[in-house]
Amino acid sequence: PNLCVPFSCRSAYCAASVASLTNILTPALFAGTAEWIARCQNWEGGIGGVPGMEAHGGYTFCGVAALVILKQEHLLNLRSLLHWVTGRQMRFEGGFQGRCNKLVDGCYSFWQAGLLPLLHRALHARGDPALSMAHWMFDQLALQEYILLCCQCPAGGLLDKPGKSRDFYHTCYCLSGLAIAQHFGSGDLHNEVVLGIPENCLQATHPVYNIAPEKVARAVMHFLQYPVPSLDPAS
Amino acid sequence: DEIGLIPCPEARYNRSPIVLVENKLGVESWCVKFLLPYVHNKLLLYRQRKQWLNKDELIDITCTLLLLNPDFTTAWNVRKELILSGTLNPLKDLHLGKLALTKFPKSPETWIHRRWVLQQLIQENSLPSLATKGNLGAAPVERIHRLVQEEMNVCSEAAGRYPSNYNAWSHRIWVLQHLAKLTVKVLLDELSSTKYWVSMHVSDHSGFHYRQFLLNSLVCRTVTDNNILAQNQMVNEQNPSLQKEEESAGTEAACAEEQSVDLPRRLDEEMELCTELIDNYPGHETLWCHSDETLNNSHHSPATGHVAQAMDVDGLNESSSKQGYTQETKRLKRAPVQDSLGPEMEYRFVDKVLSTCRDVDQARFATAYRKWLVTFLGQ
Repeated sequence: PNLCVPFSCRSAYCAASVASLTNILTPALFAGTAEWIARCQNWEGGIGGVPGMEAHGGYTFCGVAALVILKQEHLLNLRSLLHWVTGRQMRFEGGFQGRCNKLVDGCYSFWQAGLLPLLHRALHARGDPALSMAHWMFDQLALQEYILLCCQCPAGGLLDKPGKSRDFYHTCYCLSGLAIAQHFGSGDLHNEVVLGIPENCLQATHPVYNIAPEKVARAVMHFLQYPVPSLDPAS
Repeated sequence: DEIGLIPCPEARYNRSPIVLVENKLGVESWCVKFLLPYVHNKLLLYRQRKQWLNKDELIDITCTLLLLNPDFTTAWNVRKELILSGTLNPLKDLHLGKLALTKFPKSPETWIHRRWVLQQLIQENSLPSLATKGNLGAAPVERIHRLVQEEMNVCSEAAGRYPSNYNAWSHRIWVLQHLAKLTVKVLLDELSSTKYWVSMHVSDHSGFHYRQFLLNSLVCRTVTDNNILAQNQMVNEQNPSLQKEEESAGTEAACAEEQSVDLPRRLDEEMELCTELIDNYPGHETLWCHSDETLNNSHHSPATGHVAQAMDVDGLNESSSKQGYTQETKRLKRAPVQDSLGPEMEYRFVDKVLSTCRDVDQARFATAYRKWLVTFLGQ
């Protein structure tokens, strides 16, 4: 009865994202949430919107990112998740599909490819010796090719796939995916892999929040100055 | 029973743009750019308390709006208020939603509102006040059953209108969980009624996922019923009075009836279906994924004392990027007993596929499966 059951993995991610950046994340606020998200992982290895549902790129990212924020990624079967997401990169197009047997879509450049940095970090924390120190576990160049060659609208903006019209959502997530594909790691381990001319290189994006890493730092620093608000209506 | 937009960029004649032919409602496209902003604006003014609309007007306006754009949440919410105040029959919204889905089969807001309406209906199940239509006078169980069947139809239609319709299949699962309570009967009925559909939609991953959900639910159900049976037996042994025996026997009989699920046979049948489809339609990744998972379930069914684990693919360390696995069932057609799962027959099937198939993807999936066999069954 006291469990915080999200409406879907998406809302869990939104809540965890906001709460962690604004320093209001308390154990009570997300009691039971991590376990619920873990139940959304299914036999395919990916995560569905709610327990029992088909694995889906968007929900998988939201679920995993939320768990990273809640520091509970280990509740998932990381191996089957890795297996599922790497299977979603299309061998011909280079981009990612959202679900098995569906078509490629530019926005999954972020939702799917964005899982690899998160997985890399989680597996690294477990001391996996086989992890690369230079590349994510997907074909970074192939993804960049798909985005740059197939997902650009001549009039500006980006899109799902050739033939579709541009929109802000696809512009955002194609660019986010491009940033993920171009930048491995950070600090000493930072490795840039840029397809084409150097000017193609974007700023790196934070793999959990998908905003610039320095903005994440600034937000966290800012809100740390304030006390955590009480849940008590009287105060 | 169906709505649609008639491409008609200009009003040629001075007549209504609404066309009704054989129960299909059409709207000529030229009028939409006048009609939609008009009704949209009217509703917003009402919401902002700048212009009053009476209940009938509200019903008409929201109906029009939602048939043009069913993702307009505010319109659905206005109808929620009307339902809660008793002015609007919730069944009307089920019908409106069904109509909207013929043109917008994915519409998330339509599905969400539908679930809200259904929750209202099952809560009010015992109230006689909603008996405005004949069929509402039926017993609650019968009523729920009809609701469930109707939802299955709506989901099926929507799934047919858009490939791998995630929202339609989610809704279908939700209905089984919350309305039909995942009884064995409904699970088995759904298995048989979706069999034809998935055979006609072999790349529809959502459809096959639904079958996995049904099979998994059956597995869980069997485990639960086994526990109930075991408990009843314990009760019998402790209290051998005649009265108790009769009661327990009754419950046991009920459980036994439910027990006639014959899970291994169901899984075998699923394998048969998979192989048949794989043979007939080469190169569909969905079929191979489905086969693989069904095989996993076969290997770990309650008959062997394990509950099927959803994520039991840990033994597979495949470097191949696709989950391309399959299960052969020619062997199963001959010998339905699980223990005859011989590796040599698996290899024979895969080798047969590899030597006879011409589809590149099919070959790739079969090769991956062969690697998996070595790892998984080689243990």
